[in-house]
Amino acid sequence: MVDLPSDAEVIGRSLEQPEAFGLIYDRHAAIVLRFLGRRVGAEVAEGLVGELFRIAFERRKTFDVSRPSALPWLYGIGSNLLLKHRRGEARRLRASARMAADSEAPARRVGAAALDARLLFPRVADAIEALPDGEREALLLFAWEDLSYQGVAEALELPIGTVRSRLNRARAQLRELLEPGGKSRGRAR
Amino acid sequence: MKPVDLAKKLRREAAFEPAALDRGKAMLMAAIRQEAESRRQPTIIPQVPYADIPAALSFLERAFGFREIPSARFVSPDGVLLHATVEFAGGLVGVGGQGDHGAVSPASGGVESQFISVHVDDVDAHYQRAVAAGARIVNDLRDHSWGERTYWALDLEGHRWRFGQPIREVPQ
Repeated sequence: MVDLPSDAEVIGRSLEQPEAFGLIYDRHAAIVLRFLGRRVGAEVAEGLVGELFRIAFERRKTFDVSRPSALPWLYGIGSNLLLKHRRGEARRLRASARMAADSEAPARRVGAAALDARLLFPRVADAIEALPDGEREALLLFAWEDLSYQGVAEALELPIGTVRSRLNRARAQLRELLEPGGKSRGRAR
Repeated sequence: MKPVDLAKKLRREAAFEPAALDRGKAMLMAAIRQEAESRRQPTIIPQVPYADIPAALSFLERAFGFREIPSARFVSPDGVLLHATVEFAGGLVGVGGQGDHGAVSPASGGVESQFISVHVDDVDAHYQRAVAAGARIVNDLRDHSWGERTYWALDLEGHRWRFGQPIREVPQ
């Protein structure tokens, strides 16, 4: 069996042979498109995926070739692009909250605080929305994209300790929605 | 429920058109082609000798729109400009002196032994610019039966340049 060249090798080669970068698209575009779609919906994501890879191509000299996979780097470029689409992202998140509330409603009660799902999920959406950009991004890459701490650190170009503290702060914000005595419980009554 | 699981409940897949990835690929490949195109260097570069290089550079820019590539300047230790390169739509021309290589400017040699053809997008506009900058027109703008519209001009030192644009309607 022939070993496939790593992303780092392909990107290295694309410095001299730009067409080689097409392979990076073929390998990762489907994952990246789904990531963008979860955040801003299909229509905007379809417009962004080409732009994301064009930016990656233009910045390929800055790719750290000690990393075998380009995927975290691509996530990072995508995270930056999404900052320009915060309003659409917030809309989609609220709509997702309504759908989650509807689908959980038959169970009526979720979580330790036994909050009604119809009340809880819109609050989760609001809480995610209210996080500082850096914390929200770390949380969504971790929770929605299933990136490891290391993956989130590479994507956001942060030390892993910073990722850990951002995720801890984000968790604490969300936990308040669930715990007795938390902010939301008061409001829910 | 754990906080991260709570956030996961709001993850929702988007439904894409089947061609979504193709359009993105087309966008990337266009950017790749553009870069590959801009890197391509011409394999033949005419070297044109002038008695006064700075004056030639200034004229070639004003009259013909040839832009000097600043990084390609070759200057002697005492600050004399020995050679420069100008660019036009991907083509390059070397602008040098009348040194040891033996080539001479028509200004001192009295004859032109060759001319250079340049393809332009809008030959009428190019002609106007050349005339305004004082280029000597030696063959006025005209259409040719082989499908080209051209004019010929002499630069400051008498080098002969031919500018042409393809045309659809060919004169009988």
